[in-house]
Amino acid sequence: MAEIKLENVTYYHGKDTPYEIKALDRINVTIPHGMVTGLIGHTGSGKSTLVQMLNGILRPDEGSVLIDGTDIWEKPKRIRDIRFRVGLAMQYPEYQLFEETVAKDIAFGPKNMGLSELEIEERVKEAASFAGLEPQLLEKSPFDLSGGQKRRAAIAGIIAMRPEVLVLDEPAAGLDPKGREDIFSNILEYHQASRNTVVIVSHSMEDMAKYCDHLIVMNEGAVWMQGDRDYIFSRSDQLTRIGLDIPQITKLMLKLKAHGLDVDGGVYTVEQAIEHVLKLYKK
Amino acid sequence: MKDVYIKTEHLSYQYEESNFPVLRDLSVEIGKGEFVAVLGHNGSGKSTFAKLLNMILTPSSGKILVAGKDITDDSMTDEDILALRKTMGMVFQNPDNQLVATIVEDDVAFGPENLGIPSEEIRRRVDTALAEVGMLEYAKHEPHRLSGGQKQRVAIAGIMAMQPQCIIFDESTAMLDPVGRKEVMDSIIRLNREKEITIIMITHYMEEAACADRILVLNDGSILMDGTPSEIFEQEDALRVCGLNVPQCTELIHRLRHQGIELKGDCVSVEQCAELLIESLNKEEKNG
Repeated sequence: MAEIKLENVTYYHGKDTPYEIKALDRINVTIPHGMVTGLIGHTGSGKSTLVQMLNGILRPDEGSVLIDGTDIWEKPKRIRDIRFRVGLAMQYPEYQLFEETVAKDIAFGPKNMGLSELEIEERVKEAASFAGLEPQLLEKSPFDLSGGQKRRAAIAGIIAMRPEVLVLDEPAAGLDPKGREDIFSNILEYHQASRNTVVIVSHSMEDMAKYCDHLIVMNEGAVWMQGDRDYIFSRSDQLTRIGLDIPQITKLMLKLKAHGLDVDGGVYTVEQAIEHVLKLYKK
Repeated sequence: MKDVYIKTEHLSYQYEESNFPVLRDLSVEIGKGEFVAVLGHNGSGKSTFAKLLNMILTPSSGKILVAGKDITDDSMTDEDILALRKTMGMVFQNPDNQLVATIVEDDVAFGPENLGIPSEEIRRRVDTALAEVGMLEYAKHEPHRLSGGQKQRVAIAGIMAMQPQCIIFDESTAMLDPVGRKEVMDSIIRLNREKEITIIMITHYMEEAACADRILVLNDGSILMDGTPSEIFEQEDALRVCGLNVPQCTELIHRLRHQGIELKGDCVSVEQCAELLIESLNKEEKNG
């Protein structure tokens, strides 16, 4: 359980060089504890920079990053502890697998935390099951796994550190529709069992609409909108204006609305759309 | 169907380290100028199929004919293979792995230069190719500073400069954001419609597949379905069984039909679905 707060965070790429670019501009956001927060924005919006602020890979030039009210940079030498508390699974994390067996790979993080053999073993099993990896895969080489399984192994390696906050950058990129659904339902199960804070970065608005409670929209290095999912999708027309995609079903509802039909443009799932359209037939 | 451009006969492929074939007895014909999307779950054999067509892999058994010529024949020389790759280009998934030069126009010129084409002709081809993908104004830019969608479009221009008959896209939008995906899709559609380039597009995005003339669904190494997007997405349950799905709008129409609402017609795009609903509601109003 942890809440992360960014207060007036500004960050420059290449600071004090001729190539200086302001990547984040006075960011104020709250990532509420115990919820699934989605981070949206197109390439270059500052999303990835923001993600790297959350566990101290990057240090703000101005402003502060607070976990449960404490500045993570209060003791810069202890920043490593923050990386155990906020686990980050990068995009295409399977490229970071390197051990002889899947089990050893998952154990890498907990080992670095200095845990006992017994504790590590228990955590590897737990993390593998959360990530949806069958036990018989644990003794295989990570390089013999399929694409989807590799992705799961890499995510399990982060979960094994039992972070208070789990950050996933495009967890389903490159997977087929069933693979996407499976990995997201595993993440949700993990979230429901642990009640931990989860942050998901994704370009897929359909997935964001399905799985996130709270959403943060970035544009040009600033927070453009934040709030719960109903609030964000009720402003779908504004999302398209800054070049973001919206769920296909939302596009359809906006089209029907523009045609003068009495439907809500803030619909973002097929279930909601059915309800709205059926009402039109009953009138 | 238009003239057959690619024909495979009982095509099979098995990776050396594997115990079972990844492609099994696959026979299909693809017409000249056709736009074919290939769907299938991870591991269904889609990418292997693409690599066989481009002779990156040679089949374990079976034949592939391109424009009537058997490319799997033992008499194929290195020159023949080069000529084939010139007519059948391929764009891969990762935009960062495909560009070689330090300036966009040099990158596009790389292919034709290797073919020994005179320099004025190369100049003309490079400019035309960049214009076709909407990247002419970036001719002097450095590729590594471009967005993912722009990089993929430069990769497409590099292939267009070789004046191909066919381009194979192997999940070329998978690593792009929605803006980049749209840029690349628009280019693909334009090359197909205006230049009559035969397109084979492997994708995991159902909305992209809906733009094609025809969809092939691969499952465990063979063709499970072959038809227009409407015909394919009609079979929602069968698609879900093999790990795929349908666009959200299509799903909505299907579920409304299950509820007994009469909605007749194609429903693979937002436009078609909106039309169906509006028409049906108008009828309802008149009758009610």
